[in-house]
Amino acid sequence: MKKLLTSAGLLLGAGPLARAVNRFPRPDFESGYQYPEYSYAVPNEMLWDIIDVSVLLILLGIVTWALFKKRTRGPILAVSVVSVGYFGFFRGGCVCSIGSIQNIALAFVDPSYSLPIAVFLFFIIPIVFAFLFGRVFCAGVCPFGAVQDLVNVKNFRISRAVSGALSVIPWIYLAFALLYALTRTRFLICRFDPFIGIFRLGGDIGVISFGIVLLLMSIFTGRPFCRFLCPYGAILNVVSRASIFKVKITPKPCISCDLCHDSCPVDAIKAPYGNRTGETPTEGVKRIVIYMAVLPVLMLAGALILRWSSPDLARANSEVRLYEMVTEYEASFSDVMEPEVEAFYSQGRNLAELEASKDEVLKSFRLYSTLAGILIGLVVGLKLLEMSLKRGRKEYEIDYGHCVGCAKCFDYCPQNKILAKNE
Amino acid sequence: MKKDKDNEKLVDGSPIKRRDFFRKLGTVMAGAGVAAVGAGGAAKVKGNRKADLYWQIDHEKCIQCGRCETSCVMPVSAVRCMHANKVCGYCDLCGGYYRTNAKELNTAAENMLCPTGAISRKFVEEPYFEYTIDEALCNGCGKCVKGCSSFGNGSLYLQVRQELCLNCNECSIAKVCPSGAISRVSYESAYKFKDHA
Amino acid sequence: MNKKIYRNIAAVTAIFAITLSIMLATNYFQVRKATPLQTEVAETLKELNDMNSNNPQLQEQIRELDLLSRRAYFVSESHLKTGIYLLLAMIGVLVLSLRFYFHDVKNIPDKDIDPVDDWLVKSKSRNYVLWGSGVLATAALLLAFLSSPYYTSLKSKKAAGSDDSALTADSYPVEEELTTDDEYAMAGIVRDETAGDAAAETQTPAEESAATEASGAETAQAAEAAAEGPEIPKVTHNGFRGNNSNGQSSARNIPASWNLASGTNIAWKASIPKPGYNSPAISGRNVFLSGADASGRELYCYDLFTGELKWTLSASGIPGSPSAMPKVNEDTGLAASSVATNGQQVCAIFATGDIICADMDGNKLWAKNVGVPDNHYGYASSLLIYGSEVIIQYDNDSNGKLMALNLSNGNVRWSKDRSEKATWSSPTIAYVDRKPQLVVMGNPAITAYNPDNGDIIWKVDCMSGEVGASPCANNGRIFGANEYVNLVAINGVDGSVLWESNDYLPEVSSPVASRDWVYVATSYGVLACYNAETGELVAEQDLGCQFYSSPMIVDGKLFIFSVEGTLYMFSNNGQLTLLGSINTGENTFATPAFTDGMMVVRSQNGLYCVSSNS
Repeated sequence: MKKLLTSAGLLLGAGPLARAVNRFPRPDFESGYQYPEYSYAVPNEMLWDIIDVSVLLILLGIVTWALFKKRTRGPILAVSVVSVGYFGFFRGGCVCSIGSIQNIALAFVDPSYSLPIAVFLFFIIPIVFAFLFGRVFCAGVCPFGAVQDLVNVKNFRISRAVSGALSVIPWIYLAFALLYALTRTRFLICRFDPFIGIFRLGGDIGVISFGIVLLLMSIFTGRPFCRFLCPYGAILNVVSRASIFKVKITPKPCISCDLCHDSCPVDAIKAPYGNRTGETPTEGVKRIVIYMAVLPVLMLAGALILRWSSPDLARANSEVRLYEMVTEYEASFSDVMEPEVEAFYSQGRNLAELEASKDEVLKSFRLYSTLAGILIGLVVGLKLLEMSLKRGRKEYEIDYGHCVGCAKCFDYCPQNKILAKNE
Repeated sequence: MKKDKDNEKLVDGSPIKRRDFFRKLGTVMAGAGVAAVGAGGAAKVKGNRKADLYWQIDHEKCIQCGRCETSCVMPVSAVRCMHANKVCGYCDLCGGYYRTNAKELNTAAENMLCPTGAISRKFVEEPYFEYTIDEALCNGCGKCVKGCSSFGNGSLYLQVRQELCLNCNECSIAKVCPSGAISRVSYESAYKFKDHA
Repeated sequence: MNKKIYRNIAAVTAIFAITLSIMLATNYFQVRKATPLQTEVAETLKELNDMNSNNPQLQEQIRELDLLSRRAYFVSESHLKTGIYLLLAMIGVLVLSLRFYFHDVKNIPDKDIDPVDDWLVKSKSRNYVLWGSGVLATAALLLAFLSSPYYTSLKSKKAAGSDDSALTADSYPVEEELTTDDEYAMAGIVRDETAGDAAAETQTPAEESAATEASGAETAQAAEAAAEGPEIPKVTHNGFRGNNSNGQSSARNIPASWNLASGTNIAWKASIPKPGYNSPAISGRNVFLSGADASGRELYCYDLFTGELKWTLSASGIPGSPSAMPKVNEDTGLAASSVATNGQQVCAIFATGDIICADMDGNKLWAKNVGVPDNHYGYASSLLIYGSEVIIQYDNDSNGKLMALNLSNGNVRWSKDRSEKATWSSPTIAYVDRKPQLVVMGNPAITAYNPDNGDIIWKVDCMSGEVGASPCANNGRIFGANEYVNLVAINGVDGSVLWESNDYLPEVSSPVASRDWVYVATSYGVLACYNAETGELVAEQDLGCQFYSSPMIVDGKLFIFSVEGTLYMFSNNGQLTLLGSINTGENTFATPAFTDGMMVVRSQNGLYCVSSNS
């Protein structure tokens, strides 16, 4: 028994001990040799945090002022340039509000995760602004939106039926991003961030190419990333629908000239509509009732599907992958040892412990993928409901969920021209 | 004017119009949500000195797989080799400086290990040599680290240079590190020095 | 007018930007692919230089190439940087001029692509959402089903069902046979060889050309042999005491009667240029052994069928090799360690600490000196090849180590310090629960290591004195013995001692174990058989001779040579029934090597091959 215990002790000690080697003694110098001194400075993150948050607040303030007081696009364009230059190229794009969703979500479920204050502020400040004034953050403060806006030259319209359906994607992206963040697998939003490689002048070539494709697309259509991918935009969309102050195309009465509708790069201006459908009101009500009833079914279906897929989804997790590698290795004893497997053994870990931690990961994957499935089902159901609501409009109206506050419509409205002339 | 009245039905005779009511309800709910998330998040925030902000390599776990060189988002990795002089044996035959099987101990290309020539040495006294890393040339491949830890005292080790690191939200080297040696650390331990222990 | 200028600027910058980005992309991919600092050519040259030193031409070539590649690396790095800045500036100008060009064009799409009726748009959109999510959900379901354990089990069942019934009938008995660990160990050898092949394929490109050449030569040789000569036996004898150094061979049809003097059933006899106490190894058509004296150390390869000395490789010009030979006992010599091979490479180590590795054609792959062993009789531990590494038990009085070197380049894969005193024992691979353990015996402990990384699995302090015999293993039990100490049986799972006995103990000859019995041959001529489970002494035979050579269990029989040169064959049934004995008249210290129908013996006078075909 004693021997068994000592051998166990040796096994445990083998990993860390093996690395603390001192094969050669420290030399005794006779010539009065002095050890060189090195100093390694750690950058002052506090200072940068203060600068970043101040710049964020100032830029948001300028956009808000330009949208609500000045009613002109000039300052917003300037803010876009500053944002792309500062947040984009100079600060390298990290941390951004879009990615901060993951950190916030992780902080809520993982008590061991420490949430840096800058990340929290970058998450909450644009949301607060959206609650007050709409998506002023998207207008030009977000470097991603700004860079797409800056290269935008001529707009071709996308069918609203298609773009309406595509606007579900950010929610699905959000659901998966949360799933992978909460299971500590990886930050999907950061991994597949299309513009960060361009800002940093380097990175994964595939993702950079995707970013370039998006930029080429945004020359001819407004902000494809913001509209069809950005998960933070999805959150801001919901918040800004309920915003307290709302931007108006013109303070004067609308003359229904249709010019603003044409000017909008994100198709957020809805034309007047008489609401004369061929359907009887009861048919419409019936449809809404059916979709209301289908909503829980959709949520359930989403939950079940993602729960079933959770073992596959979990394979992105390093612990699960390591388990696969180690079991594969132990089954075949291949001569080539993956570095992961080598590290696994050299750290003195064993299969039982790895299996336990893998099962833990799988468990959390089951839980969170169920929740993600519910979220996706809910979003699809709500989208269907939203698309079944009939509502008439007498004049051109802004869809506040989609309006990014680029202020392009101001220049187009003839009423504003008159206003300016009168001043 | 008459048509307008039709559209704006009153809710149970109250003076608030139906659409306005929903709008206000939405605003209140959204406000409550934002406030809740804000308060919850604020409660989780840690001060900058305490929070783990900096990516760093734990040299005890590092197995010198060479992925630091290739996986960093920077064109040349932010990971560089550091040298702990107080751990170094000042050997003539240095496993981090010379290739294994080096025939002669001179600076001929066939004997040198470092692919960028970032390690230089200076004669101190018989039989000791002082080794220095030129971090401007180092690309973090870790070949010398491997050599030094298998034949020497392990005085060479890889570290993330904080002034080069972009501090990504998720370190792309950490994601491919086979031994999980890279994690976020606090300001106090932003470097894990070998000779300060 | 201005518009024209902007248009022209835009066109020019667009062309520039496109060409520049194409150039940058090609540069990027070239640099990524070539990794100038690690070119194959340079690595090949460096390895060549490692093998034959003092080739100034080669060194000059390496230096030139190194300079070129470094320059390429740094230049391309700076080019990439400036190129990207230039590209960004270009794109900035392009976007600006485009914006100015379109400045006064109001954004008025030609016509609305959507129907005027908002409700129609919504209905369409609803359909898109429904269809899209339906397709996604089906895809997700399908994927989930395809990877579900239910489906995979169903598929494997189907595959098994659709297999040829003859095939399954063939494969089942094999599976049944492979139930015990020792048989698994045998299977493990086969696997090792295939793994070796795989390793050869995944070798660094630098060696690939050499490897393909070698394999090409091999296939040519094989074809030649198939055309004219007898079939090359499949059973290998990879090193001291066979594969895994465990005293067992799966060879069959070893001739029961032969006569060295008259030449009956003797295929050939050959002389060995330099002396040595090491045992031969067989792989394919090659027989390997080594020899050394004060004038040189050599590795030999003989033809299994003809006895012709195919090649000799001298271990000379190795950096660190001592100029004066270490003091060794005459009974040990400078070449007491047996060679080891895996059918791709062969390695030999000498008492000077020189280790050389060659391919099957006698080309030196690498050589190095692992340090002159501090050993008062002379270094004698044999090499052991496990997978793609060669294991060296380097126990000596000053800095004992256990090392695993990469077979393809001789680099240290792992190395573990050992506090053991000098020993003359050799490592063995034991399979416990179908997992390999590297079992090493020394003074004072028998230790099992993980052969992949050198981690200690268990360690039992049970030895002392001058440990000369090697451990053996069977059925998860590890046996070790040394004169004046004990015969110890250890449970390979946890390192607990199962039993100990000291009736008969070996001095030089190593014990061997079958599933049920353990055999010990003493230096004073007693062969003893113990019950492997209980340790009870079940049989003994005093043969009135000396045993230095180790017993081998082959084809259900126990083969052992006495020093005086008599081969004894016993039954492996716990009764030690003498099945036959053959007196050769030549002193024999080495353990013979076995393959199907053949036995190769090294005696003091030379090398001979016993074969039923002659």
